[in-house]
Amino acid sequence: MQYELRHQVIPAKRQTYQNVIDRLGDQPVSRYLEGTLDVQPREHFHYRPTWMPNRELYDERFSALRLTDSYRFTDPRQYYYTTYVAARAGLHDDFGKTLSYLEERDLLARLPAGWQALLSSIVVPLRHYESGAQLVSVAGARFAYGTSLEQCCSFAAFDRIGNAQMLSRVGIALGGGTRDELETAKRAWVDGAHLQPLRRLVEEIMVLDDWAESLLAIDLVDSLVYPLVYRGLDEHALLGGAVAYSLVAQHFSAWFADQRKWIDALVATWATDPEHATANRAALGHVLATWAGRAYSAVAALAAAVDNHLPMAETSAALAATAESRRSPWASLIGGAAS
Amino acid sequence: MNAALRPVSIDLQESEENRALIEAIEADNPEVTTRHLPGLIKLQAPGQIVINRESVEERLGHEWETGEFQLAIVSYTGNVSEWDDDQIIVKWEH
Repeated sequence: MQYELRHQVIPAKRQTYQNVIDRLGDQPVSRYLEGTLDVQPREHFHYRPTWMPNRELYDERFSALRLTDSYRFTDPRQYYYTTYVAARAGLHDDFGKTLSYLEERDLLARLPAGWQALLSSIVVPLRHYESGAQLVSVAGARFAYGTSLEQCCSFAAFDRIGNAQMLSRVGIALGGGTRDELETAKRAWVDGAHLQPLRRLVEEIMVLDDWAESLLAIDLVDSLVYPLVYRGLDEHALLGGAVAYSLVAQHFSAWFADQRKWIDALVATWATDPEHATANRAALGHVLATWAGRAYSAVAALAAAVDNHLPMAETSAALAATAESRRSPWASLIGGAAS
Repeated sequence: MNAALRPVSIDLQESEENRALIEAIEADNPEVTTRHLPGLIKLQAPGQIVINRESVEERLGHEWETGEFQLAIVSYTGNVSEWDDDQIIVKWEH
């Protein structure tokens, strides 16, 4: 008896879901697009929010920055649950390895005195800054219009918790496994003169009505704090015998590089929107005019405190250079509106 | 048939992870024809097929090393004439 082996191809009746077909035609696309395109409801909102009766439950008018089509913006990192979790699990695994390396060799306790003071009075208190930034991202996750934006904001909010957690773990390790450093950090955040301008700024940004303005204002602060505290001091740490600081700081620089990808892409999408470009550029210019100066002076107070502990690092001078070199990541995009 | 026209082909596993790779190949090789088999996609083009790291990364949204091509490929016809950090070229050389 003989068998003839043949394969038979059974073509799928549809390659993808209707939300994708409506936009891109019937073709297989990435999980990211399947779970993003047009997922947020747009109609059949039966009730308006009681606290703002002139808006729908999801309403693009929650921000001055608008997009003709929210899905013109997509996350360049293509994060959806699985990819996001995998990427961040990697980040925190790496961080955990760094920290256990530091703890095994007691490297944090052996840091030069200036660097220890920097960690306990400036870097660990920034966990509260991360917490403020988290609330801002959560507001974006709720009020942004379009899943592509909302999910970036949600992931950014979780990132902030993660960053705060990394800082807390450094604090706990620095305090020899106790919570003493965290309590010192909390006191520094609430009472320390060098942190008050930053705290005041973050709290004012937190209560803004426009989620996009908050997000961008926090980003202006990030664009100074991250290059300065993590990236900039990193080099001096290596030269000044504080390798432990450099090992910790690299993970925050890595996160910030990741964060930049979607915020820069979003700002570019806003600034080049076919319908709202002019209004968006004006709104971006307004954000820059309102918050860039304040971000600078808040971070300048922080930089002055860094200078007290580590005069060699010349952080205040570095801040001026950082602010000058990248006046704002989006200044060139909005052109004349930035004045 | 001369080497410029003789078809080369690459068989890849058709999966979520490989979709960006397949799209990059289709974009960089306009003459490529595809055939879907269960779980498998056959990409065929006259002369050569080029895979560029940058176009894969652009579609993937994160870094991709050309070595990862090993995880996607099932079979191929042709010679791998180049395989460096930025590019893989499959073509007939003889």
